[in-house]
This record gives sequence, structure tokens and C-alpha cells, in this order.
Amino acid sequence: MKQPLLQNERFVQIAAPLFVGVVFLCFWELAVRAAELPVYILPGPVAIAKSFVTDWAVLFHSLMMTLKVTLLAFVIAVVLGTAASLLFVQSRWIEVSLFPYAVLMQVTPIVAIAPLIIIWVKDTTWALTVCAVIIAIFPIISNTTLGLRSVDPNLMSMFRMYRTGRWQQLIRLRIPSALPYFFGGMRISTGLALIGAVVAEFVAGTGGSQAGLAYLILQAGYNLNIPRMFAALGLITVTGILLFALMVWLSDRVLRNWHESALKVEQ
Amino acid sequence: MVKQLKAIRDEVVVSMTASTKTDDQTRAFGGRPVVEVAGVDKVYGNGTVALKEVDLTVGEGEFVSLLGPSGCGKSTLLRVMAGLGEASSGTVKWWEQDYQVVGGKGRKLAFVFQNATLMPWARVRKNVRLPLDLAHEHGADAEARIDQALEMVGLSKFGNAYPRELSGGMQMRASIARAMVTEPNLLLMDEPFGALDEMTRNRLNDDVLRLWKEKGWTVVFVTHSVYEAVYLSNRVVVMAARPGRVVEDVRIDAPYPRGAEFRVSTEFADYCRRVSLALEKASAQGEEDH
Repeated sequence: MKQPLLQNERFVQIAAPLFVGVVFLCFWELAVRAAELPVYILPGPVAIAKSFVTDWAVLFHSLMMTLKVTLLAFVIAVVLGTAASLLFVQSRWIEVSLFPYAVLMQVTPIVAIAPLIIIWVKDTTWALTVCAVIIAIFPIISNTTLGLRSVDPNLMSMFRMYRTGRWQQLIRLRIPSALPYFFGGMRISTGLALIGAVVAEFVAGTGGSQAGLAYLILQAGYNLNIPRMFAALGLITVTGILLFALMVWLSDRVLRNWHESALKVEQ
Repeated sequence: MVKQLKAIRDEVVVSMTASTKTDDQTRAFGGRPVVEVAGVDKVYGNGTVALKEVDLTVGEGEFVSLLGPSGCGKSTLLRVMAGLGEASSGTVKWWEQDYQVVGGKGRKLAFVFQNATLMPWARVRKNVRLPLDLAHEHGADAEARIDQALEMVGLSKFGNAYPRELSGGMQMRASIARAMVTEPNLLLMDEPFGALDEMTRNRLNDDVLRLWKEKGWTVVFVTHSVYEAVYLSNRVVVMAARPGRVVEDVRIDAPYPRGAEFRVSTEFADYCRRVSLALEKASAQGEEDH
């Protein structure tokens, strides 16, 4: 017996947003044609798609540059952020003394300090990476710290009753308890790493072989090559969505056996 | 009102005196003391007096229930007995010595919490193994004990399940298996079956009684159910709230093993009435104070 497509949850999840997207693109194309808007004001989806094909080499190269900075920043943010959280939960003193500075880092607009970092750090890739780390690290720190503290107090009592050392408490209790929070932090952090990489490049304005998608957008703007601008923008968006989806998949893989977030509940 | 209370009090005293007659049929209780609580006060940081001048001695092989209204400090007392919270004043002794002795051979203590308190990320077997892992006990002997504990609570087939896949009663069984795996001498249970339905609760009560007999445990059991306390215990310690204190210590001399017949016997009903009266009196005293 075949299940009707419209009752298939997976099919609906993919088809419904896809349908909305296609309708939107058609409307956009028709509107642009009907209003006879010139390409340098607002190109239609067809013009943008053409740009994708003709400029693919340039776009792909820039994408790789941006992706390199994003992933590098993300990995560093995860490693440093987790290390900071582990440090914070060791003692109330450490957390109270240092946490406000983590918040300070979070609220400082990255555009305002990016020029400084670009002056201080010679290598462009690393300068951009530092900027991206600064904004990507906070969700990791705050979520993981919260998670490491969200331990079932009774389980903690039990560990104490068996006279368990701090290390065992950390490995067997705190870290597993923190995992759902940690993955929540990673989901936010990937997006921020990408935004950080793009924003920093806007400020730095580095061209040449190091040029990423942000520089491509800047350059296309100067040249009034609006379809290319849209194509680069589209690539950034798609990259962000894919990174987010990757994090969701990863957290579902790890938590699927026990955490509510990853369970499929049948009603 | 006061007169009425006095009448109730007298009645309780009379019935208490009647019950202190020793019954040769009952199992000999109160060998050497396992836990001795003497003059214990517990005052929390916010000024709440959770326990005031509590004296309680639990002898080897006893099954003692702590019964009382919520806020009477019964759980606090149990935690003090587990060494989980220091008493503000007074002394607690385990096997006539201080806390350092707990955990040694013949002096093992296990605690069963109100909810199953399992690690949700670990399979049942791993949860049950936890105390052994923490004590760095591995090998065939440890595995055999885990198998045995799982079998005793009827979870042999569920070792590989995650806690969330089990029903509430089964989770509680896993929690008991985890306490059993260390082969404890003193078992402290904090309203372990409070959240379960009547049928499951009765079944688990029977399981605990059976294991208590087989294993020679000393049990201290916190509950707010009169029926559960009377059914299980050889002593019911009734507590009152604000401040938490012991008001009655009622012996239940019905012989073990107790089964379904005991639940419907007049003897059981008599004990329940007696304990209920003591409990009512305890609650009334609490209200009188405020």
C-alpha cells in the first residue's frame, strides 16, 4: 500500500518551502519583466542564474576563501569556547571574574574593532578569522557553561556519596549533561562564524587572490554588476543554511537516543 | 479544640502502650545500631529550621519508615543519614563511628532517590554499573553482580534499553538495581514510589520487602503514605512540621513475610488508624504553633 505523498512528513517538509520559493521566484521574475526594471537596479532570477553559470569560477574561488575563514573560526571558537566553559565551572570565582569579559566581547560591534584587528594581524586570513572567532565564540561559552551547570542535583549527590573526584564528575556527569546545550550553541555559532567572516572582509576590503564573497559583493557593487552581487549573496545564504543543517544533523546523531530535542514522538 | 486534641493524644498513648508488648513471633530487630542520630538540628541558610532536636536510632536489620506531612524534614533527615548534608548541631554516627567508616566492608550505604535519577544518556546496564565504575571495580565479578541485580528487579532483558524507553516503574527498578549492585548494608529510600500508580507501587513494595529479607538490609524509607509505611515497616517514625521533629515512634509488630492478606487484615487497619491518628496529631500541633 502506498502512502499518499501529502501525508508523508519528509516530503511535506521539503516540498512545502520549496513550493513557496518557486512561487516567489516566478513572481519576482514576472514583476521585474512587467516593470521593465534594468538589471543594474534589480535583476530577475533568470539574470542571476546566468551570472551563476558565467561567473562560477570567480564565485567558487571566493566561496572557498570565505568558507576557509568560517570553518577555521568555527573550530577555534568551539575549542576555545569549550575550554573557557570548562574553566568557568571549576570555580565560582573564575566564572564571576571572567564571564563579564565574555559578555563584553559579545556586545562590542565587530565592525568597530575589525579595523584594529586588521592592523594588528598581518596575515589577512588570520585577521578575518580572529574577527569571526570573536563573535562566534560567545554562544559556545554561554551555552556550554549553562550545560555544565545543569546537572541533576540528585545525580550529583550520588557522585558525592561515592566520593567521586572532580575529574570523574566532569567526564561522567557534567560533560554528558552539557551536550544538548553545547550543540545548541554550535547551531548559533556556525551562522555567526559565517557572518563574522563576511563582515570582517567588508571592513578589510582585501582583494586579490585572497578575495572572499564579501569582497566580490563590494567589487560587483562598484561595477554595478548587480546579478553577480545577488549570486554571491545567494551563495552566502546557502552556505549558512547548509552549515546549520549540518549542525542539526550532528546533534541529532549524537543525542538521538536520549535527548528530547532529537526524539521523534508519536502522538 | 484543645480538649479534643488531648483526647486524641490519650487514645494514641494508650494504643502505643498496648503495642509495646513484645511479640515473640516477630523477627528480632534492633541489633547493633546502624545509624544513630542524636540531638540533630538542621537550619538552612535562609533561617528555615528543617530539623529540631531529632533523636533516632536504627538498628541492624530494621525496616524503619519516616512518615509525615510535607515540610516535616523527613527527606532532610534521610539526607543527613546519608551524609549528604551536615547537621547544624548534634551528632550522627554510622556503625557507632563517624562518616569515614561508610563505604568499607559491611558498612556500605546506598540511596534511592524520589525519582529514578538515572543518567538519560546511558543504557540501563551502564546506569546500574555506575557505582562500580566510580569505585573502579571491573571484571567478571562486577559483571556478575550487575547481571544479578538486573535479574532481581526483573530487568534482565532491558540492559540495553535507554531509561526513557522504560516505564516509570521500570525506571525505579533500575534505580533500585543500581543501589543493589554495591551490595549495601544500609539502604536509604526517599519516597521512591511516590510518583507511581497504586498497582506498581504495591508490586515494588513487595519486591523491596523480599530483597530486604534476602539481603539482610537495614532500610530507612521515607514516605507520605500511611498504608505504605505500615505495610513495609517494623517501625513507623511519625514526624511533624515547623520545625521538623519526631513525634511518635510506632512499632508494627505484624510478622513477616507480609502479603496481600496483611493488606486486608483488621490488624493492618488497626495499625493504619493508629498511625493516622499520630499523624493528625502531628499536623494539628504544627497548626497550633502558627
